[in-house]
Amino acid sequence: MFSKNLIEYAVILLFKDRADHLFSFTIFTFIVSLLSAVLFVSDAIRSDLTGAAQFGPDIVVENTLAGRAYKLNEEDRESIADLAGVSAVEGDVEGYYYFSQQRVWFHLIGDSSLSLREMSVGEGVKEAMKLWHYDDAFNFFSMQGKITLKMVKTESKQTNILSNDVIFMHPANVRAILGFKVDEYSKLLVTVPNPSEVGDITLKIVQLLPTVKATSKEDIQASFRHLFYYKGGIFMILYWVCMLAFLILLKNQISLAYGEKKKEIAILRSIGYAIKDIIALKFIQNAVVAFSAFLLGVLIAYMYVFLFQAPLLRAIFLGSELGRSVEFTPIVDLNLLFLLFVFSVIPFLAFVIIPSWKIAIADMSEAVR
Amino acid sequence: MKQITVSNVDKIYNPTKENAFYALKQISFEVDAGEIVILKGVSGSGKSTLLSLIGGLSKPSSGDIIVEGEAIAKLPDRLASRYRHERVGFIFQSFNLLNGLNVYQNVMAPLMLSEWSGSQMEAKIDQALQIANIAHKKGQKVSDLSGGEKQRCAIARALVMNPPIILADEPTANLDTHNSLMFIEILKTFKAMGKTVLIATHDVLFEETDVIDRCIHMKDGAMVV
Repeated sequence: MFSKNLIEYAVILLFKDRADHLFSFTIFTFIVSLLSAVLFVSDAIRSDLTGAAQFGPDIVVENTLAGRAYKLNEEDRESIADLAGVSAVEGDVEGYYYFSQQRVWFHLIGDSSLSLREMSVGEGVKEAMKLWHYDDAFNFFSMQGKITLKMVKTESKQTNILSNDVIFMHPANVRAILGFKVDEYSKLLVTVPNPSEVGDITLKIVQLLPTVKATSKEDIQASFRHLFYYKGGIFMILYWVCMLAFLILLKNQISLAYGEKKKEIAILRSIGYAIKDIIALKFIQNAVVAFSAFLLGVLIAYMYVFLFQAPLLRAIFLGSELGRSVEFTPIVDLNLLFLLFVFSVIPFLAFVIIPSWKIAIADMSEAVR
Repeated sequence: MKQITVSNVDKIYNPTKENAFYALKQISFEVDAGEIVILKGVSGSGKSTLLSLIGGLSKPSSGDIIVEGEAIAKLPDRLASRYRHERVGFIFQSFNLLNGLNVYQNVMAPLMLSEWSGSQMEAKIDQALQIANIAHKKGQKVSDLSGGEKQRCAIARALVMNPPIILADEPTANLDTHNSLMFIEILKTFKAMGKTVLIATHDVLFEETDVIDRCIHMKDGAMVV
């Protein structure tokens, strides 16, 4: 496509103008790293959320009235279990416990696999407890007195987005701490073997118990997908910062074709460079800058998010005190990265090549006098 | 043998507007291969415009310029660029070197359009630098050179492709007498190499040398007989 000699000379000219190109390189790297970091963080969160939802029940039933949650009872469970197409309905107890010393809420979830003296905690819970020297065990205060549970396991970092503030314990302990009776539940988890029947059964549950909210697995995954959709105000600010930086970058790119560079193009034309050679020179120089800046930007973002766990940005995404201990799972959406490449590199190249072409086609005799 | 034939050439700037300006009017002349010709006249007489037309930097409004049998005014950009690359060497009044590069890198510029190997290019650059007597400064940035040295760097660049035609536009205008005389000495080398040279100048020093074959006088865009 390009001769070896022309590439060599383009690199010589690139080093000659290294100050101008370094400016473009720095701004471009900054933009790519910022946008990539946002993409990486949101992708990691969405992936963890949708991944976790995949193993959940087919339908989750909650009792809500005027936006507030109420308990469900054994009668509700049995009436849903009688519906055709439902293979099982499991009652679940969960709720929030306030840890007043640290001023945080723990999310208590029942898990029958744990014994009455055990609990499994999320990373955030573990850290919060550790601050108050609860290294191996924790005391919960309930209407039935103090309940001491031993910390036997810490939840996988890959599910931290969901499990960060969670404490899993035997359902009997959840009932005791949160004040649930034996036949009372906070949720009903419905199993439907045939995926095509999930929609119908969801509708039937709502008809059967008009105050309940029935949410299918698909709805949960969809809500997770939209949870970090790039519309929030903070993202708009980030995008505006990127847009502003990109405009500065493009202005610098245009200047690479005017002023002293205009004369340079005329000189090269006078010694035999055709219009296509001038465009090739400019393309090679700026492609080297754009590709290397893009790769470096992505690499910096990858390290920032997955190695250093996105300091500053994580607070924007996760917010809570407990959110500090979430670990992002390395997920790279190549399609989005490709779009970012197309929408950044092509304007970057166009904003220097088009002006250069306009100069190259003009009469050069005046410029070289 | 006629190498350059200029026939009834006009160059009009802004031809369709009220301020249309005739830079050249009905210019016709011929130059033999190996001839050294001076285009003489005051500033604004059209010498530089005529050189830029012969060099293929711009196109005439009417008339023909035939170089080695080829009508260069009608060439498309690709072929006009090849003509400038292979058959013409330019020496400009303001040298027109690429600042920020050294002498060697400036002289190598035309060669980078070719497919020659590194060693072939090096041999050609060294030869051109020797002829222009600037080989000792080849690693130096052109911005650090004196006017005379810049001129010699520009001469080396004009020679590196070994073109048959050299076009020099006011080559001594920015030089002192010593360096101007050195340029005239280089003209003798051009002569010995068989180059056809056209020089646009109003420097009287050229009148005192016997290396010049012919002088074409110009005034207000026309030839003065």
